Amino acid sequence: MFAVTTLIAVSFSIGSFRIEEAERPFLYSVLLWIILTFSALSGLARSFIKEEEAGTIDVLKLSARPQAVFLGKLLFNLTLLGALELVIVPLFILLMAYQINFPGLFVAMVISGGLGLGAGTTIIAAMIARASARGALFSALSFPLLLPIMIISIKGCERAAVGISTAGWPEVRIAVAYFVIMITMSLLLFPLVWEE
Amino acid sequence: MIYKVFLTIWMAVVIIAAFLYAEAAVGFPGETSRILFFHVPQAWIATLSFLISMIASAIYLAKRRVKADYVARSAAELGFLFCVLATVTGSIFARATWGSFWNWDPRQTSIVMLLMIYGAYFALRSAVPDPERKRVFAGVYSILAFATVPFLVFVVPRITASLHPEDTMNPARPGLDPKTLMVFLGSLLAYTGLFVWMLRLRIRILTVEGLKEPKFMNRKPDAGQ
Amino acid sequence: MFTLNVSGIGKHYRETLLFRDISFQLNRGDVLAIAGWNGSGKSTLLRVIAGLVRPSAGRVEMFAGSESIPKESRRRFIGMVAPAISLYDELTGLENMEFFCRVRGFACSRNDCLDIVDRMGLTEHAKKMCGDYSSGMKQRLKLAQALLHRPSLLLLDEPGCNLDSKGIKVVEEIISRQRELGVTVIASNEKREVGYADRIINLSE
Repeated sequence: MFAVTTLIAVSFSIGSFRIEEAERPFLYSVLLWIILTFSALSGLARSFIKEEEAGTIDVLKLSARPQAVFLGKLLFNLTLLGALELVIVPLFILLMAYQINFPGLFVAMVISGGLGLGAGTTIIAAMIARASARGALFSALSFPLLLPIMIISIKGCERAAVGISTAGWPEVRIAVAYFVIMITMSLLLFPLVWEE
Repeated sequence: MIYKVFLTIWMAVVIIAAFLYAEAAVGFPGETSRILFFHVPQAWIATLSFLISMIASAIYLAKRRVKADYVARSAAELGFLFCVLATVTGSIFARATWGSFWNWDPRQTSIVMLLMIYGAYFALRSAVPDPERKRVFAGVYSILAFATVPFLVFVVPRITASLHPEDTMNPARPGLDPKTLMVFLGSLLAYTGLFVWMLRLRIRILTVEGLKEPKFMNRKPDAGQ
Repeated sequence: MFTLNVSGIGKHYRETLLFRDISFQLNRGDVLAIAGWNGSGKSTLLRVIAGLVRPSAGRVEMFAGSESIPKESRRRFIGMVAPAISLYDELTGLENMEFFCRVRGFACSRNDCLDIVDRMGLTEHAKKMCGDYSSGMKQRLKLAQALLHRPSLLLLDEPGCNLDSKGIKVVEEIISRQRELGVTVIASNEKREVGYADRIINLSE
């Protein structure tokens, strides 16, 4: 919901005409990733918070291995993000008349960036599930961690739009590396967060 | 006591030397290069602090010794302080050299990132009421934050290099000029000494405050628990 | 032969001391009751045994025969029921059972799940969503969940909560059955429930 509303607001106020051609690939990339990131921040903590509120968290702690819980939640978050991207990205391209010269790289970037967003936030969601001011805290904590993936995704999408492609798609590779590292660290650290 | 006095004198000497002894570097407008004697050590301490905090946190997570958490927290607080100082002195330099306080060049971006991480760290600490959980979470977060730092080192230069014409701010290490080098190293030493002193003080304060808490148990939980 | 060994357990929450120096050993067939006023820490002690809460001091050990069971593997041996623990409202009773079976890594068929649901007297409600259950039914389902994997250690926090006389009979039957399987620990301040046990620890002292 957040994503669609923001998208409409952005599209309405910026329109397709006010930004110069040369600046568009970059600025549109920025806008897209801002929308995606903040939508993620508004929604991804939900799975843990819900468990906490419903009281089901204990029985989960008693029956499942922490790694299993983490991967399950991660999968859920990634699916959510995937669905979000599926809706928002095409809509964005349409509404803003975003011209993309290298769709392959663009799609790869969106996918790997999304994976990164999910990986960076899942363990944070687990930590804030019982804290006060959860929404704001979740965003405050996640944002510094997400900054690298945001920056690299913006860069990657900008490149894809402009049409420069460096061999080997370095941005995508960095995003995937981020994803892998975040998941590994989270898997190692999650049991500490999960168990009391 | 002696240490404090010595440190004060040393710092005073460095400050004076920075303005009178060393020569203003060529290539920088006016006297602006002098700020580097202060700015660089501050940034260095801010980063070092982060590293110390993270390592202390890791030790806490492994051994659950409360003292380790005191170290982590003190290092974080001081690191934050020096980070703010570094940001401010950095932007003063930016203003004097390039005309605007903020340019988002690589170094500036990374120092802001560090500031944000520190801020988030303290927000997390204050949002979790249970002391044990608070320490664990703080530790986990600082390790995660540390993991993202290498990415910034690789990522930020990429994006700013092709976006902004003016960049590579950080001038090469101050001078091959021996006088400048001397003052610089002296400043680095002074700041490090200051940091160590403040850190130990802060740790001591936290330890004493910790003693106030009622001690219920004689035996700590064994490692297997 | 399952053994539970608790030594020197203490827990304080910030400035309040809940309990300290709790020690006992339980073998198969033993039933222990933890009694005390509300707020005395009964539930917390149970949670410490379950591994949900870290004690401030002391340790909890579990043995299968002479082999010590490490913390990570204990979940197979523990079944727990407590007011604070809920099951998933969006799933049916049967689905809840199946979920917990799978998540525990326990090979169990539909029939096993149905069996236990029967034992709890919930057969007609098995296909209904948990959100629609009455509190008594929820309690029975919680008991079912705790017994699914035939745990050696059964932890019951106010097991008779919300149950009618039929439900209480079921609880009694569970406890007597558990004597053959392993150890039971009950936390309660109800006389009758405390009466099921051979030994009592009173936290209010």
